[in-house]
Amino acid sequence: MVFMSKRMIACDEASFLISYRSDHRLGLLRWWQLNFHLFTCHLCRKYAHQIGELNHSMEVYKEECSHESCAHHLSPAAGNRIGEAFKQELNAK
Amino acid sequence: MLEPQHWVERYGDYLFNFAMVRVNDREKAEDLVQETFLAGLKGKDRFMGKSSERTWLTSILKRKVIDIYRKQYSSKESSLDAYERDVSDGDFYRSEDPFRGHWLDGKGPNSYSLLPEGEMEQKELARFIQLCVEGLPTQLAAAFIMKMIDEEDSDKICKELGITPSNLWVMLHRARLRMRDCLEKKWLK
Repeated sequence: MVFMSKRMIACDEASFLISYRSDHRLGLLRWWQLNFHLFTCHLCRKYAHQIGELNHSMEVYKEECSHESCAHHLSPAAGNRIGEAFKQELNAK
Repeated sequence: MLEPQHWVERYGDYLFNFAMVRVNDREKAEDLVQETFLAGLKGKDRFMGKSSERTWLTSILKRKVIDIYRKQYSSKESSLDAYERDVSDGDFYRSEDPFRGHWLDGKGPNSYSLLPEGEMEQKELARFIQLCVEGLPTQLAAAFIMKMIDEEDSDKICKELGITPSNLWVMLHRARLRMRDCLEKKWLK
């Protein structure tokens, strides 16, 4: 792979590895490449921190939105339309 | 025991929100909710009582959403070797030397933290997350939602969407890039 042939990586590859390591263990070479890059790049250090927070925030989202609607509600018109269609089907059974 | 006569009032809003996050289209989401209720009514004899009514109806809706995702994926190129070709995402990184691959001005993180302080703001954060998810391009949204919200197994996601694991990891990377960017802009505004 082109990626594997380079010793030093840039921010695009580093950010990919930051995302990838959310779900996988990095191999030794990639671990070194990423951590060397993080040592030298303050933007990617911030990015790594924020991706960790993003991953954690999804847990917050699931907790807040698992029991009720988070942002969207059926309009009264849509609710009536769906209710009527459903009632017709229910009465037909 | 199922109580279909109460479904619309009890679960209409919840299922609509569930659908809106995933398809980002009011009309489509309303249709999905209606189809879900009707499918639930037709299939009520198959309800075994192992889950709640809402969970059962949600699983019906989830299947309908996956059918939509599958249609969208099958109509676009999905066989590219994404990992090797597309590690660089042009919207965020410089594409020319001497700093090829580095963050474009204004595209990298500005602050260190995304998370709010205090419990009150958790609801606000959840709302922003939902709005940012809805702003994702559809293909990225599908992969991101199935992995990060629905917590589906990676193999299952690849099978359902007809993509390779490499495609999936690139999509998740790009989705996270955009989610982070969106959240930072909205949250810190």
